[in-house]
Amino acid sequence: MMAGSVVTRALQPFAALGAFFITTSEVVGGMGVMFGRIISRLVRFAFDRSELLKNLYKMGVKSVPIVVVTALFTGGIMVIQAAPLVQRYGAHGLLGWGAGFGTLREIGPLLTALMISGRVGANNTAELGTMVVTEQIDALRALAIDPISFLIVPRFIGIVTTLFLSTVFADALALFGAAYAGTGILGVEPMVFYNGLTSGLLGLGDVFHGLIKSVVFGIVIALASCQFGITTSGGAPGVGRAVNSTVVVSAAGIFVLDYIVSFAIG
Amino acid sequence: MIELSGITKSFDRPVLRGVNLRVPDGCLYGLIGPGASGKSVLLKIIVGLIRPEAGTVTIRGRDIFAMSDLELQEFRKQIGMLFQNNALFDFMTVADNIAFPLRRLFNLPEDEVRQRVAERLNVVSLPGFEDRLPSGLSGGQKKRVGVARATVAQAPIVLYDEPAAGLDPVTSQKIFDLLRAEQRAAGATVIMVSSDLDRLLTVTDRVGMMYRGQLIFDGTTRQAQESADPYVHQFVHGIPEGPL
Repeated sequence: MMAGSVVTRALQPFAALGAFFITTSEVVGGMGVMFGRIISRLVRFAFDRSELLKNLYKMGVKSVPIVVVTALFTGGIMVIQAAPLVQRYGAHGLLGWGAGFGTLREIGPLLTALMISGRVGANNTAELGTMVVTEQIDALRALAIDPISFLIVPRFIGIVTTLFLSTVFADALALFGAAYAGTGILGVEPMVFYNGLTSGLLGLGDVFHGLIKSVVFGIVIALASCQFGITTSGGAPGVGRAVNSTVVVSAAGIFVLDYIVSFAIG
Repeated sequence: MIELSGITKSFDRPVLRGVNLRVPDGCLYGLIGPGASGKSVLLKIIVGLIRPEAGTVTIRGRDIFAMSDLELQEFRKQIGMLFQNNALFDFMTVADNIAFPLRRLFNLPEDEVRQRVAERLNVVSLPGFEDRLPSGLSGGQKKRVGVARATVAQAPIVLYDEPAAGLDPVTSQKIFDLLRAEQRAAGATVIMVSSDLDRLLTVTDRVGMMYRGQLIFDGTTRQAQESADPYVHQFVHGIPEGPL
């Protein structure tokens, strides 16, 4: 009996590791199946246009204030972090390049994705989860409506489009914020900042680098939020768990894919 | 004809255990039984929302679980359903909820859609509720909107899960009479689950009683009312003492 419990205890880490891999496989597999279903509707244009417009407004337009605040302050923070080095080496002319490089390739898409994940992804899961537990998804199916075409595809397009456009907007605003923070903190004139941006050290490739990431992050957020929403079970507590899972998996997915995409496209 | 053969389904525990059921065309069939006896799950299996572990569901000669997803989706246009919790789309107004099947499935002109929505709302005694949201309705009002949505497309097969739950006795009787009249007029095949036996049995042609996942009685309404089976007798007459 004692020996049995010792063996059981010794095996617990392996059991936990196995459970982790099974759960991860379920999540990734479920998101993969969901992606396949979405693509099969997308290629047939089998999705609801009015739901798409509604979602673009709800996800995109209503996210503008939070994107504006985040982006402006992100630009300012970039300058505050760079300030000691810029002052020590007198590299005022490189401030535009430094802020632009970091913002366009990394910070802009990353922080915008995290903000959209928290605002749009979590809300998307909560809505879908509530529809599941109140049988609204079943009602759609009973009414001969495909929930993937009616609900999921418009939300998928809405999230990916929102994140892409928000990143473009956030990049521009972050650079604007950085330029004026540079003036206020380091006395770097906006024109000097602009020259640093356009001196040739930065190119369109750096802009596309960040925008490719925004599309990848958008796909992750959309898949995670739809998958956890549509598989919600267990009433109101289940909706809470699904939202929590969406936020965690989206954030983890964003960082993992950020590494992979950065590595892949250089 | 709706025909179920050997339907078996478990979740955490067995819910349906080999249910066999035949509902003839044009019949208003009442499905009764104590709570958690599997009635609602059976309705969801009939409409193909839940797949049973064993057994077949044949509707109008077609095995619905042998169909592809797209075929089943198309086939569901012949079925109307009212859910136990109404399942109204909470992001749509009352009018949009009722109009939803008409707009999505039949592409009717908007004038006709509005006219039919207004007619349905009149029938369920909710005129002028078009622009209200479901979140602003009482339980009984939601139920009546659910009834309006389930009946607006005039499907040849309609499944009602507790159509009168939460309604006062007068409205409840009105709803049962309405559903009966519409079923008669359309010749529809209807399965109705209800705990309101006093009113349900005034409109049904046949009755089936579920108990612990099995259909323990199937017969005419009169046979149910006169049954000597101790379970059926106790349930139909609402007697506190007995095997249930």
